[in-house]
Amino acid sequence: MTANRPGFEPVFCTIVPPHLLDRLARSGDPQLSAAARRTLVADAAQRTARRLTTVVGAPSVAPPKDAAPDKPHRTIHDAKHKQELPGKKVRGEGDKPGKDATVNRAYAGLGATFELFLKAFARNSIDGAGLPLVATVHFGDDYGNAFWNGEQMVFGDGDGEIFLDFTIPVDVIGHELAHGVTQYTANFSYFGQPGALNESMSDVFGSLIKQYTLGQSAEQADWLIGAGLLAPRVTGKALRSMKEPGSAYDDDVLGKDPQPATMDGYVRTGRDNGGVHINSGIPNHAFYLVAEALGGNAWERAGQIWYDTLTAGGLAVDASFEDFAKASVAAAASRYGEGEEHQAVVKAWSQVGVASA
Amino acid sequence: MRIQVRRTGGFGGLDHHREVNTAGRPDAAEWHTLAEDAVAQGRRSPPIGVPDGFTYQITVDGRTVYCADPRLTEPQRRLISRVLKEGA
Repeated sequence: MTANRPGFEPVFCTIVPPHLLDRLARSGDPQLSAAARRTLVADAAQRTARRLTTVVGAPSVAPPKDAAPDKPHRTIHDAKHKQELPGKKVRGEGDKPGKDATVNRAYAGLGATFELFLKAFARNSIDGAGLPLVATVHFGDDYGNAFWNGEQMVFGDGDGEIFLDFTIPVDVIGHELAHGVTQYTANFSYFGQPGALNESMSDVFGSLIKQYTLGQSAEQADWLIGAGLLAPRVTGKALRSMKEPGSAYDDDVLGKDPQPATMDGYVRTGRDNGGVHINSGIPNHAFYLVAEALGGNAWERAGQIWYDTLTAGGLAVDASFEDFAKASVAAAASRYGEGEEHQAVVKAWSQVGVASA
Repeated sequence: MRIQVRRTGGFGGLDHHREVNTAGRPDAAEWHTLAEDAVAQGRRSPPIGVPDGFTYQITVDGRTVYCADPRLTEPQRRLISRVLKEGA
């Protein structure tokens, strides 16, 4: 909005439908995008600045002046079971661990995520420019969820019946931060196929963070998302399986894991933003197949190809599975030539039923 | 008054549904005020919301509105929390 000339401030009237405002807000024309942003901000009853950040990217928060380029800048807040963000600051960068295990896990998880992106992909934090990492724990009362609000991570303690504390699995922490990386790069819109790609990026990098932290090869890894998150009474091992989508849980209350592994099982639904957590099973499984075929550490070649695809800049915000598949084949050839990496990617997409040529 | 809350999305992408019928309840008037306030501030179509955030569908006597975390109004937050806790 600072790019706008003073004295000239077009504002769209609210007859412009929200989805069009979303598109305009992402426009390359700064006057159009600024006007759309102002309209979206002004329409505060239904749409908010926080919502905007997921559409057009959060404004950058400057890292501290004494910031080292290869170190994270973490801040953990405690919502104290309320739902106001960010809550009370309880741990800053370099502070010693306290008595609250949830705070300590969140701090360590942010560090692990920062480290994978830096060491494996030479990316300095989620925006590539040292963005401070902010998380809030103990959000809400028995709150069974974690999310990325466009600016920071938010973790509930779980309801105790179905979910435990969302900071327990490091891949869940990585998953939330990876939403930030996607927001600053391909920015896949959060609905339908691009939404499922957005979810899949978070599962892929969330799982890679766990594998990197544990020093596990593709063969040793469990490829589960949210192992340790389900309460003991739930019949299940995790929330999702990249190795065998659809096999993570089968429970009286939760039902059965609905994830498909291939396009034959693609689920059309209006719920869950068009099934973003369901159909993500398909690109998740494609990534697993590439990693399995190549062997060794999944964050090395398979992870590099996926990271290149996400960050190359060639994909639209409304990219489909096919768009992503084609871009990943090109990314593999570009980095490694037309050898086994390229072949593994082509084969994986074919196995899950997505055209990549 | 029949108050239904359906929660979708979230990290797990799981659906959760509860409802409360206020007929004969001693606190019915309180429920009615809360439900009317929550619906008045809702949207007619589901907002896309934030990654992994919950989306809520609130239906009061056949009238349906939507809202999403983390931007709930206080009446929406209270109504959703009560229906999911006390509903059947």
